[in-house]
Amino acid sequence: MKRMLDFVRLHKQFAILSALVFLLILTAVSAPLWIKISPYDSNLKDAFLPPGGEHLFGTDKLGRDVFSRVIYGSRISLTSSLLLTISVLFLGTVLGITAGYFGGVIDTVVMRIADMLISFPGMVLAIAVAGIMGASTMNAVIAILIVSWTKYARLARSLVLKIRHKDYIYAALTTGSKNLYILKKYMLPNVMPTLIVTAASDIGTMMLELAGLSFLGFGAKPPLAEWGLMLNEGRIYMMDYPWLMIYPGFAICIVVVIFNLLGDSLRDILDPRNKTK
Amino acid sequence: MRRIINKKTALILTLLAVIAGTSLAGCAKDNTNNDISTNNETSTNDENNTQKTEEKDISNTLNFGCTNFSDSLDPSTMINAAWCVSRYGIGEGLFHFDDEMNADYYLCDNYSVDETNTNWVFHIRDGVKFSNGNDLTPSKVVASLSYMYSQEAEGTGNSTPSQYMTYDSITADDSAGTVTIVTSKPYADLCSILAHPYYSILDVEQGNISENPIGTGPYAIVSYDTDVSIKMAANEYYWGKEVPYQNLNIIFIKDTTTKALAIRNGDVDVVENINSSNDLTTLQDSSDFNVSEATGIRCGFSYMNQKGILANEALRNAVLLALDDETMCNITVGGMYTAGYSVLPSGLDYGYQNLKDSTPFDVEAAVKCLDDAGITDTDGDGYRELNGQMINLNYLTYDSRNLTDFTEAIAVQLDSIGIKVTVNTTDADTEWNMLVSGEYDLLATNWMTVPVGDPYSYLDNWYSKSTANYCGYANEEYDRLYEELESELNKDARAKLIEQLQQILIDDAAVLVHGYYHSNMCSVASVTGANIYTADYYWITADIEPSN
Repeated sequence: MKRMLDFVRLHKQFAILSALVFLLILTAVSAPLWIKISPYDSNLKDAFLPPGGEHLFGTDKLGRDVFSRVIYGSRISLTSSLLLTISVLFLGTVLGITAGYFGGVIDTVVMRIADMLISFPGMVLAIAVAGIMGASTMNAVIAILIVSWTKYARLARSLVLKIRHKDYIYAALTTGSKNLYILKKYMLPNVMPTLIVTAASDIGTMMLELAGLSFLGFGAKPPLAEWGLMLNEGRIYMMDYPWLMIYPGFAICIVVVIFNLLGDSLRDILDPRNKTK
Repeated sequence: MRRIINKKTALILTLLAVIAGTSLAGCAKDNTNNDISTNNETSTNDENNTQKTEEKDISNTLNFGCTNFSDSLDPSTMINAAWCVSRYGIGEGLFHFDDEMNADYYLCDNYSVDETNTNWVFHIRDGVKFSNGNDLTPSKVVASLSYMYSQEAEGTGNSTPSQYMTYDSITADDSAGTVTIVTSKPYADLCSILAHPYYSILDVEQGNISENPIGTGPYAIVSYDTDVSIKMAANEYYWGKEVPYQNLNIIFIKDTTTKALAIRNGDVDVVENINSSNDLTTLQDSSDFNVSEATGIRCGFSYMNQKGILANEALRNAVLLALDDETMCNITVGGMYTAGYSVLPSGLDYGYQNLKDSTPFDVEAAVKCLDDAGITDTDGDGYRELNGQMINLNYLTYDSRNLTDFTEAIAVQLDSIGIKVTVNTTDADTEWNMLVSGEYDLLATNWMTVPVGDPYSYLDNWYSKSTANYCGYANEEYDRLYEELESELNKDARAKLIEQLQQILIDDAAVLVHGYYHSNMCSVASVTGANIYTADYYWITADIEPSN
């Protein structure tokens, strides 16, 4: 307990941001317990009601409660962003470590595929992939995964190459250690801190990219309560019913800022250079 | 270093030389004109001239913003392509609809028909040329009409001109200037049929029809950037009034708000069909814009595919009972539609007031209807099952005339009675192809109900023996009355038959009717004549001209 308090005292910013993230997750998870109006309940006659009264954030074109849609939207946005980030981290790390450790043909194949994907603007390629697969939240996650793993693979590979030819690796090989053991015992621990920091910083970006795809019609489909889709739906009423864009936009903004700051704090903590100070 | 200085010196000298040369040129011009003026004045005059030329160029260009309904401009490809050829002022027909949907003479200036109503002789207007300079001859007319039918017969395109007219022969007599059509059955009014965009006359022997159809309209295509824009120029051979604009840019804008913003920012001069009531009201309230509106003959509806799960009549009845048409029309789409329950608009003279709505909005009745039919939620997932399978209606729509708003509103209303609806938004071409192939449960669309001045061909959608019956609806009584309508030439008797056909469709819950659309066209104040016509076949005409 004392160690925890010392940690919090030492890393106030990280502690506060972690608490905020915990609050966000708690809000999302507990939404069905305290939100009285379903985000999918519509009353067409109550369309475009301004914020106030029963509808804190007003209602949309189908008379659905914008507040409950924004809160429920966090469930979809957080889940899909975290799923995407973990998937990208996993795929990029596995491919990057494998390419860096084994080298040769594997390295060439993996890195040339990565080069090909990097040569296209990420979002444009994601739109193309999502367009081919059809609009859905899962397809949007897959589309961004396909274009985002390269960054992690390159990073993991470069970190592996830094230690690949160290004496202790050769020593391990000489003493009969299996490749899988070396990968788990030496390579993975060496690359993970940097990759985790990168992933934490990328959660906000992933969230924005998913919202972007939904906004463009390549992600979540109606009637799903998803922030990017809500922005798209509110766009044509922007001038007359601005609350349809303000609240989901504000939600995206807050969550992205929190996750970006959390990533920065995590980097400050895990960065070896900071430890030496 | 020296090289750099030399380069700089050379650059400065070059610039000085250019400035000096320009000044001398100005003096020379003054001298030639014997005009006593200072260099400054000359410069000002030149600027004014340039400005005037630019202004003239701008006033000679019309920018028209519209939704792109077809990537191809070959009218045989699909009906939307035929419409585009007519709407963009490229192709014209032998006849032209007025606002009462009567067919007026156009490329034809006279006709005669025998007493059997099968032998029609059309005289082609003299002096008309295509935009490539070729004369419009009866042979060209026959070639154009034959092209449409041969494409349909070969299955090359989805257009169905035989839906409106079938013939035994079409022959040209160039010396007499006539085209003779011997129809395979009597037609009460073939002129109205020939006013349909399927029968726009093109020079089919010239050019790439899908990207550059050659017609007799006021404008001709210069370049076509698929799905982006079309650059057009005045048809120098146009037979009608002088074409007011030298250049015409058709700019494809899909989104209705973008259309409204584009005209408000001056990026376009004219836009068709702004579907957001808020944006439309803003333009109507401003003296800087003209708004032309027409109501009446367009019906927004959804096909109910009766080859699939919607073959179940109880399910169809429940779907219609659960929908609040009035609220959808008045609130969800902001009054852009008038609510109704028949496939023919209430404003047309086909006995709407005598029709009885079999499925008025009643959610409790919808639920009871489903329960009574045994369509219940047996697995507790919130959605009902039919024959052991969860009902999940595949609802196709495309972004036009508030159709997506309707589909979303319908999806949430059906969800409340335990019917899951998956809305899939696509483009017009894809939707049409999926309609033809039957890959849908519900399919939102928007049709002109009297495409040839009469709803006969539109009602063909539900005639079981028709190739245009894409929804698989079949009713023997409907078929019998429809066949009777085919041969009935008396106007009042036709109206009565059409009324009966409407009631059958209502009683069978054959169609999900959204309402009757209010078309509009908006233009900036410096443009006049940008009117929306009752027949939605005409957007760009020679009547659109600078207001001064």
